[in-house]
Amino acid sequence: MTDPITSIRPLAAVLVSAIAMVLIIASYRYPNVRESWSVLAALAKFGIVVSMLPGVLGGDTYRWSLSDSLGVEFVAGIDFALEADGLGMLFALLASFLWIFTSFYAAGYMRGLDEHAQTRFFAAFAASLSTAVGIAFSANLVTIFVFYELLSLVTYPLVAHNEDDEARIAGRKYLTYTFFGGGVFLLAGTVMIYWLTSGIGDPTVAFQTGGMEAVAEAAGEEDNQIYAQAAFFLLIAGFGVKAAVMPLHSWLADAMVAPTPVSGLLHAVAVVKSGAFGVARVILDVYGVETIQDLPLSVPVVGEVGLNVPVAILAAFTLLAASIIALRKDHLKRRLAYSTTAQLSYIVLGLSMLEPIAILGALFHIPAHAFGKLTLFFCAGAVHVETHTDYVSEMAGIGKRMPLTMSAFAIGAAGMAGIPLVAGFVSKFYMLIGAMDVGYWPFALALIISGVLNIAYLWPVVYTAFFESEDRHDAKPLLEFPPGGKRESYGVMPGEQDVATDGGDRDADEDGESDEAADEDDGFAVDMNPSDADVPFGPPAGDGDDARTEDTDVHNETDHHADDDHAEHGHHHGGAPSGGWKRHSPFSESTWLMLMPISVIVTGAVVLGVVPDHAIFLELVSFVVEEVTGEVLP
Amino acid sequence: MSNVELIPVLLVVAPILLATLPIVLGLRFERTGWSVTALTTTGLFAASLILAQRVYSTQSAEIYGLGGWDEQFGIVLIADQLSMLIVVLITATAAGLLAFTRLAGPRGNTFYTGYLLLVGGLLGLTLTGDVFNMFVFLEIVGLGTYALISSGDGPESAVAALKYLILGTVGASIYLIGVGFLFMATGTLNMMELADVIQNGGLDDQQLNLIRAAFAFMFVGFAIKVAQWPLHTWQPDAYQHAPDGVTPLIAALVSTVSAYALARIMFDVFGPEFLIQTPYAREIVVTVGSISVIAGSTLAVIQQDVKRMLAYSSVSQFGLVVAAYGVVTETALTGAIIHLIGHGVMKAGLFVAAGVIAIGYGARTVDEYAGLAHHRPVPAAGMAVLLIALIGIPPSVGFIGKWYIAVGAVEAQAWSVAAVIFLSTMLTLAYAARLLEKMYFTPARNVDPGSHRSTDAGSPVATDGGASSQTRGSPDAVSLGMLALVVSVAIIAVILGFAGDVFFELLEPFVDEVFN
Repeated sequence: MTDPITSIRPLAAVLVSAIAMVLIIASYRYPNVRESWSVLAALAKFGIVVSMLPGVLGGDTYRWSLSDSLGVEFVAGIDFALEADGLGMLFALLASFLWIFTSFYAAGYMRGLDEHAQTRFFAAFAASLSTAVGIAFSANLVTIFVFYELLSLVTYPLVAHNEDDEARIAGRKYLTYTFFGGGVFLLAGTVMIYWLTSGIGDPTVAFQTGGMEAVAEAAGEEDNQIYAQAAFFLLIAGFGVKAAVMPLHSWLADAMVAPTPVSGLLHAVAVVKSGAFGVARVILDVYGVETIQDLPLSVPVVGEVGLNVPVAILAAFTLLAASIIALRKDHLKRRLAYSTTAQLSYIVLGLSMLEPIAILGALFHIPAHAFGKLTLFFCAGAVHVETHTDYVSEMAGIGKRMPLTMSAFAIGAAGMAGIPLVAGFVSKFYMLIGAMDVGYWPFALALIISGVLNIAYLWPVVYTAFFESEDRHDAKPLLEFPPGGKRESYGVMPGEQDVATDGGDRDADEDGESDEAADEDDGFAVDMNPSDADVPFGPPAGDGDDARTEDTDVHNETDHHADDDHAEHGHHHGGAPSGGWKRHSPFSESTWLMLMPISVIVTGAVVLGVVPDHAIFLELVSFVVEEVTGEVLP
Repeated sequence: MSNVELIPVLLVVAPILLATLPIVLGLRFERTGWSVTALTTTGLFAASLILAQRVYSTQSAEIYGLGGWDEQFGIVLIADQLSMLIVVLITATAAGLLAFTRLAGPRGNTFYTGYLLLVGGLLGLTLTGDVFNMFVFLEIVGLGTYALISSGDGPESAVAALKYLILGTVGASIYLIGVGFLFMATGTLNMMELADVIQNGGLDDQQLNLIRAAFAFMFVGFAIKVAQWPLHTWQPDAYQHAPDGVTPLIAALVSTVSAYALARIMFDVFGPEFLIQTPYAREIVVTVGSISVIAGSTLAVIQQDVKRMLAYSSVSQFGLVVAAYGVVTETALTGAIIHLIGHGVMKAGLFVAAGVIAIGYGARTVDEYAGLAHHRPVPAAGMAVLLIALIGIPPSVGFIGKWYIAVGAVEAQAWSVAAVIFLSTMLTLAYAARLLEKMYFTPARNVDPGSHRSTDAGSPVATDGGASSQTRGSPDAVSLGMLALVVSVAIIAVILGFAGDVFFELLEPFVDEVFN
């Protein structure tokens, strides 16, 4: 590989939004000026990143380092360095491109809800992008650690944005998880690598495409093997927290109390992908495929397995378990959060199979999932702003009210499920091929099952939006009934209505995720509307119904209140207004600030799915895989 | 040339002599104390910079024997790579803090006499090259500290000062017993000669036993002075009840210099070889430090008073330093010294910020900090940055200290210490995040919407009672100088985060010499 080109551009790409942050705070009195800083910074950032793209694809890298420019090392023996290489470009390009549209969307969303503390919100958002690109371009473990910690820090204000108890608790959980990952695991792993490499020469933590030679050499020594293995798992655990690999995932669903642009860009793209990206760095650029295979773990009974296998098993478990949990989430954003948890594990699983084609699929899944999931979140947010509807069970017939939004949702959902012609298919296809190539049949099976589950939890949303109407819709069996279904047959029901519904609801609440306060009224959501009385298993339209309806109304009100503290303008609290949804044309359903980003992103998802080789990401990904493994792939 | 050689003497003698000036002038003029102190400390700061520049450029220690006596008998001052960092920290803190005390008090000429006396004592403690003089300076520092703590208004200050008086004197006395043993064993009190005798071997059994006993006494004595658990009890009271203008000085310097002196004794006098050879010496030091980290943070989490919380945080941070001493590797020692300096800077800033908030917003407990970010954005932001630095989030001075300590612990394969160090991030986070959340994400109770005046927000707090609510804070009491001080300390804490290698290279000659 040629020497890196010294350039200020990687630093500029990081700093442009940090500067924007200062400008945003400075112009807090002028909302229009403030938002235009976001957009300008996003465009500038994207421009800077794109300007490096041809060079990177040509095999060059661009490097800026503190010691080259100021002669100061960050800590002894370690430089503070940014380097734009193929893998970094993939992440930076994605984050900066999507930020452009998220800036518009965020402006529309925050204004639509008349949110408080918007200056803090936009400032923290810009700072998050700064650190995300910093993670992308970090040239060594210490630099990535710096940005990783800063990312946790600057996204905290976004999670705790609502300043109510739910948000504060989510914020605490967020800080605890992410700093445990960063400050404890990642730092410990980094120090271990530093120490291991110091044993065989100058200590180093700098990434090297295809694996660090010093690490490979150090790990080759018999005494060091166990430490090299420990360091590997520490690093993976450190990044795994942000990638929401079970059992470190539970912060993500709680972080959904944040405003939707945050859930969209940060908790589906920038923050969580920084975890997946970190895993990619560890596997590809710190240890390298061969070193990982040379470090077998001896497990009792099974014998020796590769270091990658435990990671892959955990990821496979996560993608199945999270999909199953998602099935039972009535709150749309939480359902999407568990979907994100599952999809991130696709990436981790693909990477940890160590097979070039699987790695290709995993890396391509980073942009593929980003486009798809961002669409879904944008749609959920638009629905929230326009109708204050957050629960799937309240969305019957909402396709009339928001035709474009829900159509985009349908396309995004297809992508998540891996249906051809949308981005998600391409990446999953490669991962499947990769899994079968190396004979990891269980993982291939997990991928296929999870695809089915994806359809199972996303299709009901599309179905209820378009094919049901607000006054006539079916019950949602998975949401309302206890796990495993009900014992009573349909025929017996009418005589036992009262007991059955109540009992069913109580059981449903005890499904093992009692920490999710918002789910407690999963089943009640349907009860809210008197029009649901004709639904099978619905509440009896008799005495006592009023009392219960009132009761559940209170529940729902508090929940919604927690979700959008400042969003009430005398509107109803979710669900169809009396008289049903008003029919809107695709152009009048919401503000252009939100519709434009939705249309662009969903188009991107389709383009990635139809002509992946013309959209730059696949080219970039195969370039990365070729550099790392030496194999030339499509 | 010769002038530079006189600087170490000047640094020690000048503040002690000039300490009389505020009282003398006070006979005729009111309010001369601040000006005298400002001039003195600024001069000291300049002098220390010149000396530091010389020490680090020539890479050699300045050793000055007072009165031309032979080193064996005379008083020796040593300005080397280690002590100069601390000297600069002392003079800079002492000079900078005056920006706060000018308006915030305590006022009066006697206060500034105590201030200068304390600074002189601290500089002496840092520069001395003689274990007995170290005791003398420990006592001078102690006296200055008692005087300053008791200059607070309430009876709590007097009690806190008395508590420190008793415990501090016990600590110094125990140290003195150690000095006695050392003298019995070696017949000298000069550090360099002691080091020669102890480190070059040839000791018989009786001598070795005496020296080990001496080490034990000295360590316990310093454990009191550095406030290691369970000998820390004087510190929270002292920090909490000292006047707002005094706490930053004490918190940033007194325990820091004691911890520095402990390093001087452990590594320069006894030497790493002795620590490794003596059975259980390292284990005990490491255990004391590690327990202090955990106990200090746990106690910090449950405190309501912010100053008290920060005091317990100091117990925990010094625990980190002491644990790093016990690891006995070059990197860990470097990290410990960096963390000492970093902690001094951060704590000074945090206590100044706490003082600014107390006089400007009337908030002293964690609950009263609610909504602070909205009403007092500047001190809140300063405090937030410093807390984040304290957690050890890079880039900040808190991180680089922790990095070197962690690397040192892993190098020594001291896994339990390493675990404590990594987990200390979470422990620090626990109390820091509590305050951050209050400041930024908890609306003040009973806030008049649209109002930015604290007097509106403050009324419910006043009913809670407590000393703090007797006078409501008002933003007018906060001068621009105070805010500038908070902001500049916060900026320094971040910028020093990029100086990890600079510190490392400054300390390298000293550390090399100690370990080889």
